[in-house]
Amino acid sequence: MGDYVWFHDVSWHASYAIYFFVIGILAGLSFLSYGSWITPALRPLREKAAYGSMILLAIGGLLLIADLSQPQRFFNVLNPMYLNFTSPLAWGALNIVAFGVCSVLYILELRKAPDSARGKLLALITALLALGLPIYTGYDLTVHQSRPVWNTPVMPVLFVALAIASGSAVGSLLSGGNEGAQRVLREYMLWSTAGVGVILISILGTTNYGGSAQELTFMILTTGTIGTIFVGFGMLAGTAAPVAMLFLAHLRQQTSGLVVAALLILVGSAALRYALLMGPQQLQTLY
Amino acid sequence: MSEELRVSPIETRGKAGTRRYAMVVDTRRCIGCMACQVACKAEYDTPLGVNRTWVPYKVVGKYPTVKKQFLPRLCNHCDDPPCVRNCPVEATYKVEEGGFVLQRYERCIGCRSCMAACPYNARFMLPANRTYTNITNVVDKCTFCFHRVTQNLVPACVQTCIGRARVFGDINDPTSEVSYLVARNATQVLRPEEGTKPHVFYIGADRNQTEFGRDAYRQREVMELDRTAFKNHFNI
Repeated sequence: MGDYVWFHDVSWHASYAIYFFVIGILAGLSFLSYGSWITPALRPLREKAAYGSMILLAIGGLLLIADLSQPQRFFNVLNPMYLNFTSPLAWGALNIVAFGVCSVLYILELRKAPDSARGKLLALITALLALGLPIYTGYDLTVHQSRPVWNTPVMPVLFVALAIASGSAVGSLLSGGNEGAQRVLREYMLWSTAGVGVILISILGTTNYGGSAQELTFMILTTGTIGTIFVGFGMLAGTAAPVAMLFLAHLRQQTSGLVVAALLILVGSAALRYALLMGPQQLQTLY
Repeated sequence: MSEELRVSPIETRGKAGTRRYAMVVDTRRCIGCMACQVACKAEYDTPLGVNRTWVPYKVVGKYPTVKKQFLPRLCNHCDDPPCVRNCPVEATYKVEEGGFVLQRYERCIGCRSCMAACPYNARFMLPANRTYTNITNVVDKCTFCFHRVTQNLVPACVQTCIGRARVFGDINDPTSEVSYLVARNATQVLRPEEGTKPHVFYIGADRNQTEFGRDAYRQREVMELDRTAFKNHFNI
């Protein structure tokens, strides 16, 4: 009582979590578009996924730029005289631009010759650049050594798994009644979401057994409002429930109920990104 | 610091022929008058709601032996600053001569990556509207009063400190007062486990303030009420 505490604001707000969500889906859709060249069942998704990815890139790019307090200076990140290669943000900006250029070339090729060898090559390059997007967003958090949960090496892996899960979920919604595509997407959703669950458990375990900052962050992540979002929406409704549904569907070789599972995965991946971004910032605001 | 302890080429403490400024804060001498905070505000016209230096306090002990424990805070001008590593456009940088960690306002894009990287909450975002300057919407921080120090003056907070709780000088100079204080007293730095090698040294700092307290969790509801009032007051 009577203490004088100076409250600090969190550095990154919820708009950044929306950006993570959008960038994850667009990366997942790029994987699917490339997957359609390898797996014939996904062929109907090729164009839809490529266009969807491009639209989300525009939304995500605008979100990212609007989130800067000096949006007109965004091009400073692309200025070779200014670039600082020890910052994951610099790599991320280059990655986004390269991905955008390749996506445009890929879409132009799809419109010209939908099944050409050049199209397959561009799909591969686009998918590899798309892989860099969740990796860089994960590193964006990982490099902050003073933040519990963020500063774990599995964060980029978690973001890749989330990208595959949420991209496949959107792919499932786009596939509608296509049985063949839904069977493949059911497997993608099941194993990537299960992977997310395993990574979350390992993050929570190591956080709970960490130092006082880690322990307090664990408490913040598992109780109150953040706890409801992280554990309730993220882990239970968005990870455990769809994994159970998809596993049953996998055992029975069914494709019914995939829409519900896909929607749950999307809700869960949005909630997880929000909680993982905001939760570990709370304790620091009191220091 | 010996050569062996210097792990990064950016570090300049103990580097021959280079000045490395540091501040010693003797908390036993701090009376919590907040004059340092006011002097800093006056020097830089720092807006409401944000501070380059601030003096939080905690009431520690049990009645009747209670006391207010002050812990003046500011940028630690780390020898291995994570904010510099994280800035995508090198808007924040370290001056080799003196070890100042400074900000290029005209280059900052406002991504707040440096704020997220700083373990000390020393960085803040300037508001969109200011009366006397057009430096707005960029990240700002304490500069160790670079403009004063390069004119052989001490920082404004040191100049004004009534109890001489703040002492500033070149820690690479073995005859300086800061070298003497660090050599002769048990000193603490904030969050040494982060490996940032901070250059603000505390004498007599209380663990209730230098470490994450467990009461940060237990008092969260109370804290939240305070935080809401605080945000409303400054319209954050």
